[in-house]
Amino acid sequence: MAAADRMTAERILTDEMIEAIKAYFPRYPTRQAVTLPALHIVNERLRYVPLQAVVEVAELLELAPAVVQDTLSFYGFFKQDEPHGEHRAWVCRSVTCALRGGEEVLEHMCEKLGIHPGQTTADGKLTLEFGECLGACDFAPCMLADKTLHKDLTPAKADEFLESLG
Amino acid sequence: MAKVIVDGHEVEIGDSERLNAIQAAKRAGVEIPHYCWHAGLTVVASCRMCLVETGTRNAETGEISMLPKLVPGCQTPAKDGTVFVTNSDKVKQAHALVEEDLLLRHPVDCPICDKAGECSLQDYHFQYGQKERRADVLPFTSRRRDMGDTVTLFVDRCVMCTRCVRFCREIAGDSELMVINRGAHEEIDVFPGYPLANKLSGNVVDLCPVGALGDKDFLYQQRVWFMRKHPNICTGCSTGCSIDIDENQDHIYRLKPRENQHVNQWWMCDEGRYGFHYVHDDAREIGPHRREEGVHAAVQWATLPEELHAKLSEAGRLAAVLSPHLTVEEAYLLAKLVRGIDPDAVLALGPVPVVGEDETFKNGFTIRAEKCPNRRGVEAVIRHFSDESLDFEQFLQKLDGGEIRGAWVTGGYKQPMFDEQTAERFSGLELLIVQDMFASPLWRQADYQLPASSFAERDGSYVNYADRLQSVKWAIRPPAGVWSEGQTYWRLLKRPGLYNARQALNELAAEIPFFAVAGGEIPPTGVDLKLNQLAAT
Amino acid sequence: MADFEPVLLANINKPDSHTLSVYESGGGYQALRKALKEMTSAQVVDAVKSSNLRGRGGAGFPTGLKWTFLPKDHPGPIYMCINADESEPGTFNNRILMEQDPHQVIEGIILSSYATRATTAYVYLRYEYPLSLERMQGAIDECYAAGLLGKNIQGSDFSLDIYMHRGAAAYICGEETGLIESLEGKRAWPRIKPPFPAVEGVFRKPTVVNNIETVACVTHIINRGADWFKSMGVPADPNNPRDPGSYGPKLYCLSGHVNKPGCYEAPMGLTCRELVDEFGGGVWKGRKAKAAIPGGISMGLITEAEFDIKLDFAGPGKVGCLGLGTAAVVVLDETVSMVDFLHNSCRFFAHESCGQCTPCREGTRWSVEMLNRIKDGRGRLKDLDLLLEIGDSIGIIPGTTICGLADGAAWPIKNAIRKFRGEFEEYIKRTNPSGYSDDAPAPSLNYRTNGTQVVAAQPSWWPSAHSH
Repeated sequence: MAAADRMTAERILTDEMIEAIKAYFPRYPTRQAVTLPALHIVNERLRYVPLQAVVEVAELLELAPAVVQDTLSFYGFFKQDEPHGEHRAWVCRSVTCALRGGEEVLEHMCEKLGIHPGQTTADGKLTLEFGECLGACDFAPCMLADKTLHKDLTPAKADEFLESLG
Repeated sequence: MAKVIVDGHEVEIGDSERLNAIQAAKRAGVEIPHYCWHAGLTVVASCRMCLVETGTRNAETGEISMLPKLVPGCQTPAKDGTVFVTNSDKVKQAHALVEEDLLLRHPVDCPICDKAGECSLQDYHFQYGQKERRADVLPFTSRRRDMGDTVTLFVDRCVMCTRCVRFCREIAGDSELMVINRGAHEEIDVFPGYPLANKLSGNVVDLCPVGALGDKDFLYQQRVWFMRKHPNICTGCSTGCSIDIDENQDHIYRLKPRENQHVNQWWMCDEGRYGFHYVHDDAREIGPHRREEGVHAAVQWATLPEELHAKLSEAGRLAAVLSPHLTVEEAYLLAKLVRGIDPDAVLALGPVPVVGEDETFKNGFTIRAEKCPNRRGVEAVIRHFSDESLDFEQFLQKLDGGEIRGAWVTGGYKQPMFDEQTAERFSGLELLIVQDMFASPLWRQADYQLPASSFAERDGSYVNYADRLQSVKWAIRPPAGVWSEGQTYWRLLKRPGLYNARQALNELAAEIPFFAVAGGEIPPTGVDLKLNQLAAT
Repeated sequence: MADFEPVLLANINKPDSHTLSVYESGGGYQALRKALKEMTSAQVVDAVKSSNLRGRGGAGFPTGLKWTFLPKDHPGPIYMCINADESEPGTFNNRILMEQDPHQVIEGIILSSYATRATTAYVYLRYEYPLSLERMQGAIDECYAAGLLGKNIQGSDFSLDIYMHRGAAAYICGEETGLIESLEGKRAWPRIKPPFPAVEGVFRKPTVVNNIETVACVTHIINRGADWFKSMGVPADPNNPRDPGSYGPKLYCLSGHVNKPGCYEAPMGLTCRELVDEFGGGVWKGRKAKAAIPGGISMGLITEAEFDIKLDFAGPGKVGCLGLGTAAVVVLDETVSMVDFLHNSCRFFAHESCGQCTPCREGTRWSVEMLNRIKDGRGRLKDLDLLLEIGDSIGIIPGTTICGLADGAAWPIKNAIRKFRGEFEEYIKRTNPSGYSDDAPAPSLNYRTNGTQVVAAQPSWWPSAHSH
């Protein structure tokens, strides 16, 4: 992207997002601290944080885009190339869930959907990922789908979940 | 005086000094290997190469108690009674561990790496590494991507010391470089569309302890072990950064900053760093010429000094235009020469190139608008010889008066400074001697054309914006057919032997109070002439 | 255990336990009212100090002592950071507290902030807990409305704001200085110490970082007194001047191959066997236990024979584990392959290493590379010694890293191989009969897994971050 292109690139952050980001400013003594809240705000609305959004967030936070991108990429959480699916689910692969069949459930779902962890189904309905310990070991194996915790998962329950997505 | 014990040897540290283990050990002649630590950057203690054992010696009992764990030398202050052990088995094991770790995914492509020969990874691995590779052999990967116009990144050679990232954030202030991803997936990168473009960018290559960041200007030009380093001064602006000229067989391949806490710390700007190529420009003037009936014919240097002296003596009122690119010694000798022939000779400062405004970076490093190394030094020489201190414009006005009959004009600029209109004003002279590197309208109408030497080919001293005098010795020989300015004036002054800049400096230090301090030893970082001015007041 | 009444979990089974009214009806916010009326902040610190409360987040540092490291008479601001980035595999007690009894946590935060004179508290909450976010934010909103947060709380001259701050799925944000860096909007690379957070923490100001369960304990210490807290647990070892003892109630997370996984509250010093048998209803499917993680995967592994150790701060260390950690016990039954277990552990730490220190970044990756190969039937006996060498050399205990993540990565390696070496050797010999010996040439990693392990066969786990 040349400098001239940057100027003309269409704005991605809506006024609503910008207001939501600015609402966080009074909470912290530095603008940089609003990095994660801002990225979450963008990600919740766009289901990814494209590079242009990083540039605009950086501008709001008075930072170089590289500084925001540095932080963003650390977490491996925010997608950047394309939005994740309508739904995003993490199947835990850490020790307790693995002991109780978590990896097999993940494998079953991958087989069923024909995607690898981290990928999105062709219809854009679901992005399936592995998670590291979701903190629900009392219900292992478990899956976090959007904001819902799916407990004591089995391949059959996973199928039900997939069907519920329509 | 604080006493620190390094591997059993006591080292003394000044009361006001704040040194870490690496610096204290260096005083004891002990090297503590390190990657991420750099005295000019914040301490992150992440490479873990400088691990040492540490403890304290009880001041009363003399008993030494050691910490059970290793500590990073970069992060551990050296205080009175601090004990450092850098050569125990435990420390050696830690060194070997880090070295082994760093080579796990490194391509080991030393034969095609510019850094080979001056690479910390190579040197440390040789000294501290494992004897054999114990890890699985990975497929070779060697990815390259450009960080900007000047710097390229060999991604897989990186050891994640983050010096370059810290430099861009802490020193240059533009924060173009970043770390991306996490853990073993980390890489250095720039944000797409925002390349590394700050004017200090070349420093990240110097900072890189391995072959990850490459200087595109130097890339694949020369093996480092063929080059010799010559301490010198950057003449690109009046900051006068201390530099090293790296050359092989009289060809300069690169300039590197040389640490000088009084001037440039560890840095230099890209303008200076890459601004040396004119030295090897094919357009440089080689061999002296004399104008005979409108045509310039080559002449021999051997008899030229006598001929010039005779011509100068016949010309009448003389003038010398002293370029701010001359060393103080050269300016002094030329002034002495023309004043020796004509005691009322006019002395003037050559044109001073000023481009834009001074540019100061986050940590205070400044690129100055005045694009010459020695205006203050040359002015001081002129003030000594002459009551009136003429700048070039005032000189031209004086020239228009017609009183001046013969002029010696020195150049040495890398940019054209003498245009047609300027040259026109010199046209009425009896004798015009122009000493310059590149042809110009003025050069073309000179009676004598004397090819000038470049900054890398001279001996002498420069006085920077802050009155710091730094002395340099030639790094390369001038092209055949070029005499250095100093040698030319030396012969014209009928001095015996070869040009001796030190002797000239001694003379002018004795003669000109401004330079009095320079009569003593000149350390590699130069001397502050203001010290003397303070003493005089 | 019969006479022990749960304290921290007292409310969780009540309907609408997360609401202010239910919390207050059970005596909630009495400790805060009492402290604001009757106690100076120094008295709160003293109470916590004399209770010998030790941090519940993993390191077990005495909480009151930590508070006293704050500079005296600092003009402020002083910050309170609450570590709700619970990510240690096996651990979920903070989730239960935040979801089921958020006001208990918030009362603890307000009390701790009052004690430390902090005027802003940030709750750094891991992304994976959306319900915790909802409940905590709801509780905070209720508190503001009820005058329990904000300016001049309950008419006192103490003011406090609490903000929820969400992470983005990175284990290292649970390290206190990693948390601080992340909160500041930077990559969560733990800081070198000194300076410690108490002197220079978030936004370069004095900062206390406390765990959720720790601050919940503070509430009860103020309510019931330090003596009550010290009346239960395991007293300090008189022969060890550095042992402050393990007192008070503790939330034990039990999971893995047991009949009744869950979060159970008991006085410090419960044995692993009691937890598994009495609370967890024994090992599932009528099987025998083979081993257990004593306190989150970082702490290492105990064999079934070691199940009688006390789960207090000192107990796990006596059988070669790193410590009590989060007191999250994960039981492995007799069918579990230790190769699989160690592979899972190494994969986790390689994924979560922040990548700052060389020995951790490369050591965790190297170990998972070797485990991948061993699992794939290409192991060598000498790989085990290499793994042990990595395990023995990385971490803050040997001093080769900045933070303790590498120690957590090292302990499972050390414990698993030292305690189950025979099984590893047998596996390697069985699966790699022609190549296991030490003389065999070093293998190259140009191979693919046999296809049965979808996850392991992933060429790179890094999801989507920008790359050229």
